[in-house]
Amino acid sequence: MIRFLARRLVQMALLFVVFLSIVWLLLQAMPGDISDTLVGNPDIPREVRFELRQRLGLDQPLHIQYITYITNFFRGEMGVSFSRYPADVSTVIWQHLPRTIVLFLTATVFAFWLGFKSGKLIAWGRGGRSEQAFILGGVFLQTVFYPWFAIVMMWVFGFYLGWFPISRFIDARLWQGSPYDANDLFEQMILSTLLVTVVYVVGRVLIKRFATTVTMEARLRQALVLVTVGGLILFWYLHPARTYVADIAHHTVLPVVTLGLVTFGATMLLTRSAMLETLGEDYILTARAKGLPDRVIRDRHAARNAMLPVTTSLVLSLAFVIGGGIVTESVFSWPGTGQLLLQAVMVSDIPLAAGILAVTGVLALVGHLVADVLYTVLDPRIRIT
Amino acid sequence: MTISVENLETRQVDPTKPLLEVDRLVMHYKIKAGEVSAVEDVTFTVHQGEAVGLVGESGCGKTSVALSLMRLLPNNAEYVSGQIRLDGEDLLQLTDEEMRTRRWKDIAMVFQGAMNSWNPVYRVGDQIREVLDTHFRGQMTYEQQREHMERLFAAVGLPGEMLDRYPHEFSGGMRQRAVIAMALACSPQLIIADEPTTALDVIVQDQILKELKRIQTELGMSIIYISHDIAVIAEVTDSLGVMYAGKLVEYGPTTEVFARPKHPYAYLLLKSTPSITGPRRQLAPLEGEPPDLLAPPTGCRFHPRCPFATERCAIEEPPLADIGGGHRVACWHWEQVPDLEEALLR
Ligand SMILES: Nc1ncnc2c1ncn2[C@@H]1O[C@H](COP(=O)(O)OP(=O)(O)O)[C@@H](O)[C@H]1O
Ligand SMILES: [Mg+2]
Repeated sequence: MIRFLARRLVQMALLFVVFLSIVWLLLQAMPGDISDTLVGNPDIPREVRFELRQRLGLDQPLHIQYITYITNFFRGEMGVSFSRYPADVSTVIWQHLPRTIVLFLTATVFAFWLGFKSGKLIAWGRGGRSEQAFILGGVFLQTVFYPWFAIVMMWVFGFYLGWFPISRFIDARLWQGSPYDANDLFEQMILSTLLVTVVYVVGRVLIKRFATTVTMEARLRQALVLVTVGGLILFWYLHPARTYVADIAHHTVLPVVTLGLVTFGATMLLTRSAMLETLGEDYILTARAKGLPDRVIRDRHAARNAMLPVTTSLVLSLAFVIGGGIVTESVFSWPGTGQLLLQAVMVSDIPLAAGILAVTGVLALVGHLVADVLYTVLDPRIRIT
Repeated sequence: MTISVENLETRQVDPTKPLLEVDRLVMHYKIKAGEVSAVEDVTFTVHQGEAVGLVGESGCGKTSVALSLMRLLPNNAEYVSGQIRLDGEDLLQLTDEEMRTRRWKDIAMVFQGAMNSWNPVYRVGDQIREVLDTHFRGQMTYEQQREHMERLFAAVGLPGEMLDRYPHEFSGGMRQRAVIAMALACSPQLIIADEPTTALDVIVQDQILKELKRIQTELGMSIIYISHDIAVIAEVTDSLGVMYAGKLVEYGPTTEVFARPKHPYAYLLLKSTPSITGPRRQLAPLEGEPPDLLAPPTGCRFHPRCPFATERCAIEEPPLADIGGGHRVACWHWEQVPDLEEALLR
């Protein structure tokens, strides 16, 4: 396992350097350099431009620049954003990244969880009347033109029903004169959720280890859900910044649901077909012959094996992060990296755009690594050495 | 590898007592085009400690009979009539939940696709433990379960450490042995083995059959062997039934049926099977294929392929009649079968 991880990390680093080089090449392919864009600005004297070139190392030969760029990147330095001068690219990204990650992670986790559950159930209860409705809905969600769908969602729930704010991350009027910083608060929200998740996972493991009967296990699990989720809600309810937190949460719902629904449809359909396939396997017949209860056959045997292709799709959906992110974030004016990338490209803020692409690349690579490890946990036939 | 069944529970056997009585069982599959008459009026009895064989070409309804007994048929199957009595109790009258608790505990099964009987993602031991968890809930501690499983593995000649392995780490023969061990887990009264060794090579096949036979006799269980290969199961069974196109066409003591088959189909099936262990036999052709059971032939279902067929065979269905000594044959011309050999040689 350790050796596998070490080798994979080296591979990933090499792959990343290649990726970064391509990004850098694209950067070089742009005519001129950043300082050129300052030429037309009468407020900036010539000396500043030279100083800037020097400071940015743009007067160095190309190969030196290349090496500097790569090494700087690994030191976490991605240059200066042009459109937000003099802010660092890394600072700008760092501000926006949590929002994107939260948007995606929440949408993906819920979509996969629900999609898997419902796909499992409709495959198990074959021929039920709801099956057709679910399939139809799933196909619609999977094939719908996403930007259109996002706008429809926004129109229906934000405008027509008025349940959710139409756009942005916070309500500016509410936050005027607020003693809190939205980013800090958001980070605290993430941290508390992570903490609760860890507690939940540890709790589940402990329950599995120490529960003696099935009913006891089920009870404890319910209690655990109550304690963790209840605890989280209670904590923020008692928190002095509660209205602000509620505002952020309120703004988060619609983009998360919209993005999640699309993933949900695809996951459900995939789970259903994977499940139907496993249900035809010989070991399912064996499980039935063994007299196992239906629920055990469904969950422990059929669904467990249907998880393998669904995990694959989860990984592949990582590629969706960039595209889906840009669309969702643009439609909902969600200030994440997707929107940032779009803006950066539109105003030719090349360092920023390159930085975002690079970070996305890192995320995708890490996602693949996690998925590979997950595979080996899920399927003992896959060995890692 | 030591093989010992000493540590497993043995059953007192009264060979005259019927254990499983299949009584005029009729089972059809419903498909769009109509009804597939897969099991048609099948009657036979398995006594305590008895080994019964069912043979017939593939597509003759053997698996359908096996799955009927366990009530494991696919959704499109329908029991039309008949009874399946286990210890006098009709299994077809039980609720689904009652039937579920009988499975494996009373009747265990070794499947045709036994290679794939194991779920690839769980350790073999855990898949056996699952059976114990279901049928002996709360009656065995984790350690007792482990001990029991090690005894089971010893009985089929597998080392206990193999319990911690995954199915893909087993060879085909070992997987099949492990399936047999699992089948013994609840000391069932009856084991149904549907083509238990078909996918294995001949040597392993022979070994496993012999071991299964020995375990079965020593533990006092009954067994139904199903195979398309009459020579393979003739060696290990007491009674033998021959199925053709969903019907039982001949049934009797194995020695009788094997030595003197009376139904032309049984005769031709036997003659067309090369034997590795027995004396060399003249190979006679069994031409054609079993009929489509969506529209089986009228009268005797074998008549289109039968060298003795007369007009009567196409119209009137022969009953499964006793010709003495518990030997039953469904043929109008069974007395002429000894002449068949001559006819064929000419
Ligand atoms: N689920 C099903 N639906 C319709 N027909 C089936 C089904 N399963 C089996 N059959 C048909 O029933 C007949 C008997 O099949 P089977 O019991 O598998 O025979 P065997 O085990 O002797 O090869 C075959 O004609 C087969 O095509
Ligand atoms: Mg079969």
